[in-house]
Amino acid sequence: MGFQTDAIHAGQNPDPVTGAVSTPIYMTSTYAQDELGVHKGYEYGRTHNLTRQSLEKNIATLEKGKYGIAFSSGLSAENAVLGLVKAGDHLIVSNNVYGGTYRLFELIMKDYGLDFSWIDTSNPKNVENAIKENTKIVYIETPTNPMLNLTDIRAISKICKDNNLICVVDNTFMTPYFQNPLVAGADVVIHSTTKYLNGHCDVVGGMLITNDDKLHERFRYLQNAVGAIPSPFDCWLTLRATKTLAVRMKQHQENAMKIAEYLQTQSYAKKVIYPGLPSHPQYELAKKQMSGFGGMISVDFGEFETAKKIMNNIKVFTLAESLGGVESLVCHPASMTHASVPKEEREKLGLTESLVRFSVGIEDVEDLIADIEQAVKKL
Amino acid sequence: MAEKTKEQIKIGGIDETKYSMDTHLIYGKSVSDKWDYSHHVTAPISSSTTFRLDSVERGAQGFMQFANTEEFGDKAPIFIYDRLGEPNKDMLEENLAYVEKGEMAVSFASGMGAIAAVLGILTKPGDEIISHNTLYGCTLSLLSNWYPRYNIKWSPFDLTDPANIYNFVTPNTKVIYFESPANPNLEIIDIEVVSKIVKELNKDRSEADKIYVVIDNTFSTPFCQRPIEHGADFVVHSLTKGIGGFGTDMGGAVIGRKKFQDVLHLYRKDFGAVLNPKSAWSILTYGLPSLALRQRHQIKTAVRVAEFLNSHPKIEFVNYPGLPNRKGYETAKKQMIDFNGNFAPGSMIYFVLKGATPAESKEYGIKFMDYVANRAYTMTLAVSLGHTRTLIEHPASMTHSVVPPEKLAERGLDAGGIRLAIGLENPDDILLDLDESLKVI
Ligand SMILES: Cc1ncc(COP(=O)(O)O)c(C=O)c1O
Ligand SMILES: Cc1ncc(COP(=O)(O)O)c(C=O)c1O
Repeated sequence: MGFQTDAIHAGQNPDPVTGAVSTPIYMTSTYAQDELGVHKGYEYGRTHNLTRQSLEKNIATLEKGKYGIAFSSGLSAENAVLGLVKAGDHLIVSNNVYGGTYRLFELIMKDYGLDFSWIDTSNPKNVENAIKENTKIVYIETPTNPMLNLTDIRAISKICKDNNLICVVDNTFMTPYFQNPLVAGADVVIHSTTKYLNGHCDVVGGMLITNDDKLHERFRYLQNAVGAIPSPFDCWLTLRATKTLAVRMKQHQENAMKIAEYLQTQSYAKKVIYPGLPSHPQYELAKKQMSGFGGMISVDFGEFETAKKIMNNIKVFTLAESLGGVESLVCHPASMTHASVPKEEREKLGLTESLVRFSVGIEDVEDLIADIEQAVKKL
Repeated sequence: MAEKTKEQIKIGGIDETKYSMDTHLIYGKSVSDKWDYSHHVTAPISSSTTFRLDSVERGAQGFMQFANTEEFGDKAPIFIYDRLGEPNKDMLEENLAYVEKGEMAVSFASGMGAIAAVLGILTKPGDEIISHNTLYGCTLSLLSNWYPRYNIKWSPFDLTDPANIYNFVTPNTKVIYFESPANPNLEIIDIEVVSKIVKELNKDRSEADKIYVVIDNTFSTPFCQRPIEHGADFVVHSLTKGIGGFGTDMGGAVIGRKKFQDVLHLYRKDFGAVLNPKSAWSILTYGLPSLALRQRHQIKTAVRVAEFLNSHPKIEFVNYPGLPNRKGYETAKKQMIDFNGNFAPGSMIYFVLKGATPAESKEYGIKFMDYVANRAYTMTLAVSLGHTRTLIEHPASMTHSVVPPEKLAERGLDAGGIRLAIGLENPDDILLDLDESLKVI
């Protein structure tokens, strides 16, 4: 089936009881059992929920995966990935990931005896060199948040296969519409469904997708045992949103491309980072591994004061954390999403005080460009 | 012989009559054979406008079966489209009918939707509706502003004396309509006597000319009063109020005899005031199961508040069905009875402040309510009732603003009348706020 068809149908057969075409919101915390040990396969709301199952099947299908395991946030999904390893194990992680990922790994889980190497995974050689005897997982984000660096998923997956490591890819920025890491050989895909998958800034959620039976079994166990599950209502809202993922992503990317091209011609924008611009250092890889370039743009305005003025004067774009909603947002990574990353680490990545991240929404692009123009006029 | 499953035993084998209504509020009419959600302890929220029909034949069957219980009985419904019926509303309706001691219930988008529907199926141009003088403002508006356009006549009169029926009934009368206690002045009408008189009158009337007794039981909720037990033909409810109980959802219902279910379904289908399934689910999941608990608490508080106001020097009079000094007390005691046979005078209170003239008592009333609006923690100036929060309002300028000042007395309203709808707060706190607020006048 095509992507749009799966988005609308996968996991969403009409309700067997009534024929309801839209999936019901199965609000129940527990299930009546016929007799001791005899039930319909549903026992308790944390363990099983039909609305959640629909969403898991839906997103798994879109990611070309067999299994989806839903969580209450992107971070709780990441935490479940760490449930694959134990104290003494080593993980290799992209040096530029979402700030909350850094916080969870380096500032929390490190104390539990996990060892993390933060390296530039855009060069696969660096990954090979970082492998130790106790390495278990390679964790990448591509494109990264907010520097939009790319990592070659195929190359990293091959290294993982050869060394018996688990390859995990955070695909939040591209969504399955533009990039399918499992097809490229990754073992696990992570989503913050909070972002494009839900797309309307009204639900926080996460998802793991895998083809591997053993990994699935472990994730399912963790989902129930740790208990960071999404509510049936959140699942239902997200299911509503995946139905329009394809049309939204097309528009996000069309708008982002126009804005990136526009900004590139403006002298106040010292550096415009967007994977769809030929000036992006990994433009060739972007064209090869993604079928589009997404809706995220990062711009370095050279000076903090300029960046600050633009963020304060911009009107249609809202100054806020998060991304991937139908509405356009701007954010200041250094003080917001990536504040938990130490300053030296940030500067090494180019994540400067003058960097602004644009999450381009699906408004009329002329209005968005006019909005940037009016904000710049006040400089 | 095949073993019966637990569910089959449950459907067939439970003697429901031995359980109390408090329990029935939670379980409804045991397990329904109309849908198999019994293993979901809480029903799913139905959220589909349309339903898959496996074949054209099944589709045709569904349309044929819809609103046709005469031919098809109570077979498991074939769901077609939300406006025709879906599981959440159907489940709620079964339970509502059960607690109101009716044979069926049909839900609507609001109380007004339900009132318009029951009057809509019972009348046609040339017919007449007679009612008590005092009714909820929008019901008054429906009867006085809209029905004349359809040539349906409305005659209000004092039904606290049921013998007045004889003076107002005509050969064209089809409906006698009232609330007891009435909104907002809490006048009490004897349901049994009214029903008896109508039964007598109907003896000489053909089936098509019968008069139906319709009562709005919103103020009492079925916890305090089940009018069908006293002979009423139809009960209507604003589910928005005490039954919904939390102030989160609008809803209405008509409850009555089975033979009117189909025509009510057809009316709802064509006029379109359907209850949102998500609201039906809330009322089914939170409202009804907690009705008895909430009402018991609210009545206890209301009795104390009414007694406090009744003995307060600044208050002219208090009307509360539980006060022995008020007209209608004996009737209230007879018909406002909870599930266990105790007197249940409800959670609504009406009172008027002292003043040399009605204008002065209104002036004081407004001063008092404005103070409450700004300074009282436990009372909110707002229309509606049956809420978790205690709500206070001024009928003459709010719920009953449709009545012009010169007609207030005719409708049984006082210019300065104050309506208080008790919530779930600690009664001491409500008394504290009332005491303090009354000091400003
Ligand atoms: C790329 C990426 N991964 C993971 C997360 C964390 O997701 P959540 O906020 O849903 O926990 C985010 C959130 O900002 C993100 O941008
Ligand atoms: C006694 C009574 N009946 C009917 C209604 C109308 O109900 P709804 O607002 O749900 O349409 C009200 C609402 O205020 C009411 O108080």
